[in-house]
Amino acid sequence: MNADDPPPLTDDEAVGRSLAGDLTAYEALVTRYTAIAHRTAFLLGAGDEAEDVVQEAFVKAYRHLRSFRRDSAFRPWLLRIVANETHNATRSRGRRADLSVRLEAVREPGGPEDPQDTAVAGDRSARLLAAVRALPDREREAVVCRYFLQLSEAETAEVLDCPIGSVKSRTHRGLRRLREEVDRELL
Amino acid sequence: MNSSDDPLEAELRALGESLHVPPPPEAMAGRVLTALREPAPKRRFTTKRLVAVVAAVLVVLVAATPQGRAAVAGVLRFAGVEIEVGGSAPVPSGSPSPLPSETGAALAEARSAVAFPLVVPAALGEPDQVRVADGGQVVSMYWDAIRLDQYDGSLREVWHKELGEPFPQQLWLGTTSGVWIPQQHGVEYLPVGGGAPVSLRLAGPTLIWQHGRVGLRLEGVPDVEEAKRIAASVR
Repeated sequence: MNADDPPPLTDDEAVGRSLAGDLTAYEALVTRYTAIAHRTAFLLGAGDEAEDVVQEAFVKAYRHLRSFRRDSAFRPWLLRIVANETHNATRSRGRRADLSVRLEAVREPGGPEDPQDTAVAGDRSARLLAAVRALPDREREAVVCRYFLQLSEAETAEVLDCPIGSVKSRTHRGLRRLREEVDRELL
Repeated sequence: MNSSDDPLEAELRALGESLHVPPPPEAMAGRVLTALREPAPKRRFTTKRLVAVVAAVLVVLVAATPQGRAAVAGVLRFAGVEIEVGGSAPVPSGSPSPLPSETGAALAEARSAVAFPLVVPAALGEPDQVRVADGGQVVSMYWDAIRLDQYDGSLREVWHKELGEPFPQQLWLGTTSGVWIPQQHGVEYLPVGGGAPVSLRLAGPTLIWQHGRVGLRLEGVPDVEEAKRIAASVR
């Protein structure tokens, strides 16, 4: 053992050791990706079941680790399993997945801003969130991945298991609908 | 790719950051490891499993019949066209647009403006109108109601289509294969430099095939046999 702290394992090293049966290495991956996996499950509609979904996704990911292509990134591969598990959970619940999120209380402005502005901004955010909720499933998932989870187009394509072209067009259509929706309500 | 001037996109990112999401579970690693150390569950035919097996068999059956195929989402990539078949035909939103930087050109001009060999179907003769778009990525030729688009189909996906039922029909044009889409459908053009897809007007029945490295889509011929005859006459 070195006296110095060993550098953290890269994803690829952790995957390699996990494949060799080293559960400690897999633990490092779980710790690294729990937060994003949980946020993904929650925002894609897992709601109260997000924790169970994430646990099941990590278990499945480990059991299917041999099918992971080592030359690709671990994060979107894992998030795709999370998205699938979320679909399974919401499907077995027998209802349409929804974004069971509420807006955090509008942040206090740093300076002496007009409280009217803050209220208007909060109102607009609430309307925008309502409009995202009302999008058709495919467009909503694309918008959630691209903007709420801030995934790239390529990552979104992998997570949603669809071509990049579909991500582009679903996002584009979703944005157009959101724009129409939000603008209409401003009139 | 996250840099964008679109205020709505920036607003959505900011909204995402302000959303109240429960804190991530603690001790997830412990839970996962405990689950992994347990022996894999024995396969018992509980009701739940049986239902799952029956459902899986149904999915296979549904997927194996032509009527059922469209119910199962699938993606067909062919000759520079990405066709996504889903449960329902999406209705294109917004108004149709021309292709990016589309300009009229004489046939000879068009030939020199593009990096792939243009063809003309002898069955239709010289086109009434030729248009070059997106810096020579696409050439569109027009005869009355007929439109023929040519593009380099060997490098990337140029078009994106989403369809409902029925599943596009695969057919042979001499020794090359083609795809026939009999119904009206939305078409989007994917610009070469990235950026937002351009949605065109609703397309009618379309035949797609590849001639060498050139991808072709022939639109506006309602009868598949006639479309095949035109396709076979390209020179």
